[in-house]
Amino acid sequence: MLQVPEASLTPLLPILLVLAGAISSTLLGFWLSRRTLTFINIGAVVASALSVGWLWNRDLSSFGGGLRADHAALLLGFVILAGTLMTLLVTLDTAWRARVAFPEFDAMLMYAVTGCLLIAFSGDLIVMLIGLEIMSLSSYVLATLQGSRRAEESGLKYFLLGAAGSAVLIYGLAFVYGATGSLNYAVIAEKTSTLNPENTGILVGGALLMLCGFGFKVALAPFHQWTPDVYGGAPTSVSLFLSTVVKVAAFAGMLRVFSGALDNAPGWHSVLAVLIAATLIVGNLAALRQTNFKRMLAYSAVAHTGFLGMALLGTPAAGGAALGYYLLVYTLMTAAALAIVAALQRSEEGFSVTDMRGLYYRHPGYAVALAVCLASLAGLPPFAGFFGKYLVFQAAFQNGYAWVSVLAALTSVAALVYYLRPGMLMFMPDRTPAREYGLGQRAPTTLAVALGVAGVTVLGLLPNLWYAFVAHPDIWAMLAGR
Amino acid sequence: MNSFTDWLPTLMIFLPLLGSLLLLVTPKTFRDEVAGFIAALTLGAGLAIWRGGGSELFRWDWIPPLGITYSVQLGGVSLALALVTALMSFIAILYAARRIPNPGPMLSLILAMETGLIGIFAAQDLMLFYVFFEDALIPALLMLAMYGKNGRMAALVKFAAYTLFGSLLMLVSIIGVRYLGGSPSFAMTDLKQHLVTGSAQTWLYLGFLTAMAVKLPLWPLHAWLPDFHEQNHDSGVPDVMGTLYKVGGYGIFTFAVPLFPDASLELRPILMGLAAFTALYAAWIAFRQTNWKRLLAYAGLSHMGFVALGVFSLNETAVIGAMYLLAFQNLYTGALFLSVGMLQERIGSLETRVGGVMTQAGALGGLTMALWFASIAVPGLAGFIGEFSILLGAYQVSPWLTFIAGITTIAAAAYALTAFQHTFWQARPAGAVTVRDLVHTEWLILAIPLGLLVLFGVYSTPALNLMQPAVRAVLSALGGN
Repeated sequence: MLQVPEASLTPLLPILLVLAGAISSTLLGFWLSRRTLTFINIGAVVASALSVGWLWNRDLSSFGGGLRADHAALLLGFVILAGTLMTLLVTLDTAWRARVAFPEFDAMLMYAVTGCLLIAFSGDLIVMLIGLEIMSLSSYVLATLQGSRRAEESGLKYFLLGAAGSAVLIYGLAFVYGATGSLNYAVIAEKTSTLNPENTGILVGGALLMLCGFGFKVALAPFHQWTPDVYGGAPTSVSLFLSTVVKVAAFAGMLRVFSGALDNAPGWHSVLAVLIAATLIVGNLAALRQTNFKRMLAYSAVAHTGFLGMALLGTPAAGGAALGYYLLVYTLMTAAALAIVAALQRSEEGFSVTDMRGLYYRHPGYAVALAVCLASLAGLPPFAGFFGKYLVFQAAFQNGYAWVSVLAALTSVAALVYYLRPGMLMFMPDRTPAREYGLGQRAPTTLAVALGVAGVTVLGLLPNLWYAFVAHPDIWAMLAGR
Repeated sequence: MNSFTDWLPTLMIFLPLLGSLLLLVTPKTFRDEVAGFIAALTLGAGLAIWRGGGSELFRWDWIPPLGITYSVQLGGVSLALALVTALMSFIAILYAARRIPNPGPMLSLILAMETGLIGIFAAQDLMLFYVFFEDALIPALLMLAMYGKNGRMAALVKFAAYTLFGSLLMLVSIIGVRYLGGSPSFAMTDLKQHLVTGSAQTWLYLGFLTAMAVKLPLWPLHAWLPDFHEQNHDSGVPDVMGTLYKVGGYGIFTFAVPLFPDASLELRPILMGLAAFTALYAAWIAFRQTNWKRLLAYAGLSHMGFVALGVFSLNETAVIGAMYLLAFQNLYTGALFLSVGMLQERIGSLETRVGGVMTQAGALGGLTMALWFASIAVPGLAGFIGEFSILLGAYQVSPWLTFIAGITTIAAAAYALTAFQHTFWQARPAGAVTVRDLVHTEWLILAIPLGLLVLFGVYSTPALNLMQPAVRAVLSALGGN
């Protein structure tokens, strides 16, 4: 007799709602226009976000702990949904110009989000892996959908490197299973604290292989090589999605696996510290040399990976809270900045930094919004990016990684220079003809930008609005379950 | 009534920012009046606090889980500096409104910057201080970007890179001060009871000091200063705000000395040496300048060397002198920048080698000369009291370094008088344009600071009474030095 697993669908609700959006895009695409589908998906995402609120404080789990709707999952899921909402709003305006306005695009996007949410809600390594693969495969397709050589090249690069990353990750996963005899985070966490020496070696090996695998997904140096090409080559709305939602999901996975399951495992902390140091240096210095604004944002996303990663160096309580806060802020500011690029660029290559001269006098609203985003990305108060940066500095500093904090501070100077240049060029008077797309300013994109800018401003002045949710240390002590 | 006085510092801090936002929606014809009114109101709030003998500490838990509080207090040195800031912002607005075509954004930025500056002086919480410290930077950068000259991008990047290099190290230090000391919050009252000890204190002090040394600026972190002033708008209005921005001396005095008492005693000889060198070196370079703005920038640098000498000496007389100089240096250097702007408006250049301006614009020449006298510490003007107290106090700590710094006063007279003579006296070149004398508000713009400089140069008691208790309180942390 077939044993039916105990499967409560309530904790799955946010995922199911997004999945419903994905399936409806797949099926209804034959009859409905893409715009209608996008509105349906926006509805699905909003409903999913509401269900996240509804599930708050219930601490449900399903599939024997394989899928958990605990506080951490809900907080990270909310961030993912916020990024998705902004992406969908932007695609309403720009998908047609980017030649990706067909239902498959929306379907792929929503499948990717389903995968992202699965990672955040995962309670064991297999669910995490399934989520990661759904997310990755959909992202490869998204990066290639636009029928251009650049998109195809970037998609292929993404696919090859991503597949290699996944392979390494699965290899590491097998090692961890070998060392602990379980795939469940809670059991792994329990076993790692009482491990005999023979198994420790295998565990360390597994942890490091998984670190490499995740390194590919979040773009930690030296595994970041694909990022600038993919972010630069894909349609801007896709870059927006990849650099926010997908990255948030990958970090959610890292948080679950490393700060949760492998928190007691030796070795990976110091290796991660070195990788982060490399990421901070490479990302910031490379961004300094970019002349294309979109590419610069791609490298800045790499640099931010370094900052976000610093949260993992902290204790789960401090680091999880820092990451929870920073991920939302990062999503808001990066998505808003890329939304403006998507609206104003003439071609999908983005525009050059020098083309931004005098933007304030042509599109004052977007220029001020972009300036706010750049100031926030640079970590200038009173915008929320500052508190994000401060929190990760503090998390690393408190846990004995003062040198990483100092290095991060020093490399931030380079970051400030490359954010500052476009930020200031916009306000310089200019008499040459405009070089951006004149009709780019439309209501949905403006709404997405307004969401982002209002978010970073309000969360900067009153960080507690969001931080109060993520600050509770118990949330992050239970990353791996009990 | 008591609750209202508690709110006064907050009002004084955020009133200008409110005004700045208000200007965005104000019709063009009323912008000048609204900006001037807001600035005057801010100054009035400051005077009201002064009349009430300074404000009590106001504390509100801003971000409780992070231990960041909104603690503000205006009293003693901080009140004096806030008052000077409010006054000079008012004067800058008065001038900008008339001088700059379409001054809306400029007026907004001046007001926004005023908020940052008064906030810096009022903050009694390290994180709050950091927030205001960075906030004052954004309007300064925008002023340079919107109104600067051709080479502004390089100047801008240089300025921002130096400043942020320092302030980010300071941020790490701030985190360290709290966690290594184990304080429950970033409020100064808590931090002072949980001092970090040992070599960690020295390292944290160095991080903090880097930020302050950039702002002061102290050799070798001063390179941004001349470019910043040279590339800014000719009117001198952004420069006034730039001089107000010299919060380094104040930051070391209010935050670094009480939090790192051992380290500041330990590093005292080195830092005093750097300060004395900065003063002399800047004066020497100022002597070679032929651009008025660069000259003033280096002169300001030289004064800041003096301020640093006073603060680092940790001697009561010298520290009071340093704070006195810090406050009044803003008045005369600011006014001088504006007078340079007026000169530029008339002759179309910032060259010092013009000649004969005095024959046609006597009032401009006369007032400028009097301001220069204040700048080179002629007795009877406020600059003298500051410089003299610094030298008097520092001499008791390190006679030789004080002697070196003292030479600067001679150098200052040399560079100031030479440049002044080239521009205002000498023969008028043939075919030069006719120079108009001061008109309308220009009189007030130069005369109000000068009047105050004379007043506080002759009758310094009110200002000294304001500063002395605050200085004593800070130095008592060192264990009666």
